[in-house]
Amino acid sequence: MVSFMEVVNRALTGPYFSEKDYNLKVFVPSLRELVKKYEIKYNPENPIPSDDDLADRVFRAGVELYTRTGTYCVDTSRIIKFTEEEIQQALTTAPSAPVFGEGKEAKPLIARKPESDIPPWCFLGAGGAAVSNEQLYVSILEAYGSFLPLADSITAPTLKTINGKIVEAGSPLEILACIRSSVLARDALRRAGRPGLPIMNCIATAVSDAGKIAGSQFGLRTSDGWLIGAMAEMKINFERLNEIAYVQSLGGHIVAETAPLLGGYCGGSEGVAVTNVAYHINCILVMRGSTQLTFPIHFLHGCTTTRDITWAVSVSSQAISRNSHFPFFILSYTASGPMTRMCLYELAEAVITSVVSGASIEFGGVTKATVVDHFTPFEPRLASEVAHGVIGMSRSKGNEIVKNLLSKYEEDIPHPPQGEKYEECWDTCFKQPIKEYTELYQKIKKELSELGISFRF
Amino acid sequence: MKKEKIFEDLLKAVVELDEGKAQKAANELIREKIAPVEGIEKGLSKGMRIIGEKFEKMEIYLPELLMASDIFNKAMHVLEPHISMADTDKTRKGTVIIGTVRGDIHEIGKDIVTMLLGTAGFTVHNLGKDVATSTFLEEAEKNKADIIAMSSLLTTTMMAQKELIEVLKDTGCRDKYMVMIGGAPTSKEWAEEIGADGYGRTAEDAVSVALELMNKKKYL
Repeated sequence: MVSFMEVVNRALTGPYFSEKDYNLKVFVPSLRELVKKYEIKYNPENPIPSDDDLADRVFRAGVELYTRTGTYCVDTSRIIKFTEEEIQQALTTAPSAPVFGEGKEAKPLIARKPESDIPPWCFLGAGGAAVSNEQLYVSILEAYGSFLPLADSITAPTLKTINGKIVEAGSPLEILACIRSSVLARDALRRAGRPGLPIMNCIATAVSDAGKIAGSQFGLRTSDGWLIGAMAEMKINFERLNEIAYVQSLGGHIVAETAPLLGGYCGGSEGVAVTNVAYHINCILVMRGSTQLTFPIHFLHGCTTTRDITWAVSVSSQAISRNSHFPFFILSYTASGPMTRMCLYELAEAVITSVVSGASIEFGGVTKATVVDHFTPFEPRLASEVAHGVIGMSRSKGNEIVKNLLSKYEEDIPHPPQGEKYEECWDTCFKQPIKEYTELYQKIKKELSELGISFRF
Repeated sequence: MKKEKIFEDLLKAVVELDEGKAQKAANELIREKIAPVEGIEKGLSKGMRIIGEKFEKMEIYLPELLMASDIFNKAMHVLEPHISMADTDKTRKGTVIIGTVRGDIHEIGKDIVTMLLGTAGFTVHNLGKDVATSTFLEEAEKNKADIIAMSSLLTTTMMAQKELIEVLKDTGCRDKYMVMIGGAPTSKEWAEEIGADGYGRTAEDAVSVALELMNKKKYL
């Protein structure tokens, strides 16, 4: 595979384009042409299609897109480009079973296929949502460790304050908060009796490269995952390349994060699906990932549970999983919040879509991960149970269930219920959900069983 | 009749993303000695409003929005030299300084707001991303801004919105500018908490809020 030094070299010397020209003269026309060329058409009637040929066409379109667009480096205004041969080589030599975690929690992350019998990796927690203080941060992380038996790895929240001071990005408080979040997360998982559980979104609190690098010196392990994000669409900057340089040299795992935007430069569902595939290659070549973490997201609604996003997630997941051994996750964001029926329907919809289409899951962000303290361990718990309940399910059956679920909440997406805060629906003393939430969970789980999910847990 | 046809052509040119048609209609308007301001209001701006609504409904996407804005601006270049000073003042809605706050590099949403404000008649100075508080203030002063608009996409960068308002208060400049905010983790409640004058949930919202703020400013 092309070396990272060569990637940096291309970031410094590749073809020069203004950012506007890259967006409008390279990315957009290439994508639109390829959507046409490969006859990719969104069908809202079937959010989870069972069409292998469509999936393979989307994959070929994504590969061709990446050969044309490469990745744009915003600090140098240059395109990091690769030949088709280099891309094929990267797909052949990409990691296939990276091992995350320590001791008895250590396990390989295996790439899946559509309708696969291989259990999806359950990367569970807050999806980077903000928690108001250190006490709640520890409380919720300990609860993740103890209340989520199906968790293969943890996604920690973002720490909003330390010592009562609001953390401001780029200030020394960010560095201190990143250090504090590493120390506290490790300690909380130890208290939960799962010290080896990998934290796979290191470090959620970090905005800057300095924050991420400094924080990782305080208890992170090379078997954790460093979350490094690409910029929309198909861009990267020096800060992220700096982080990649650091983690590579450390021998750590990079969880390469991407988020094609429906409504943005990708256009509609078709463009999002093809771009998601192109990002998959970007995650191997430029971001040097051990895995891709992706969340196609809706520009207006800020969530991933709309019908058009569902189609894009499903088709691109099928495309990637059928044609690449490089493992990937779909991260989901619900529009609604904890202890609402809608939230539980949304999460089930998102998880079913991902799992039957060949992905592993990160769950996730509830209330779009934008409202402080609006998440509990109950949502990832149900997500993991649904994920294991649909292992081996056919896409067509998944499609029917998802259509049913969409009909229950779709109309409410523009104005979703925000739900309750962590402390309002979780007993922090006894470390369990309150009765009302447990009853809602049981009711929804029963409904989901009746729809065809075979819960094993 | 001819006049109405030109307005219609200007509107259609924006909505149908037809640059040639826009240039042609703008030149014809000048030839026919029709007030350019009327052409902007009844043709180009009306077209941009339709484009904005289509974007809100996801009938079109960001590239179309950018193309429409480009066509609007090119037609404006034809019309602008023919607009009298008095008319310029009449159509000018206000000056906005806009940027994504320090530490934050997300700017697609902010760029859409910039575009829609521009086509709604505001003079907009887009400072880009990762903008320091001091830069917002210097540029606001330099450009005699009416409104400072700040975007933040991260919970860890929202504080910069509060900080700017506090600096304005500390330096006795709070009354000089209207301040509006936006971005995924922000809300009406956050705007109220930090003492911002307005909050835009969507790009379309932001334009309405900016117009409301300008109206409010008139009566201060």
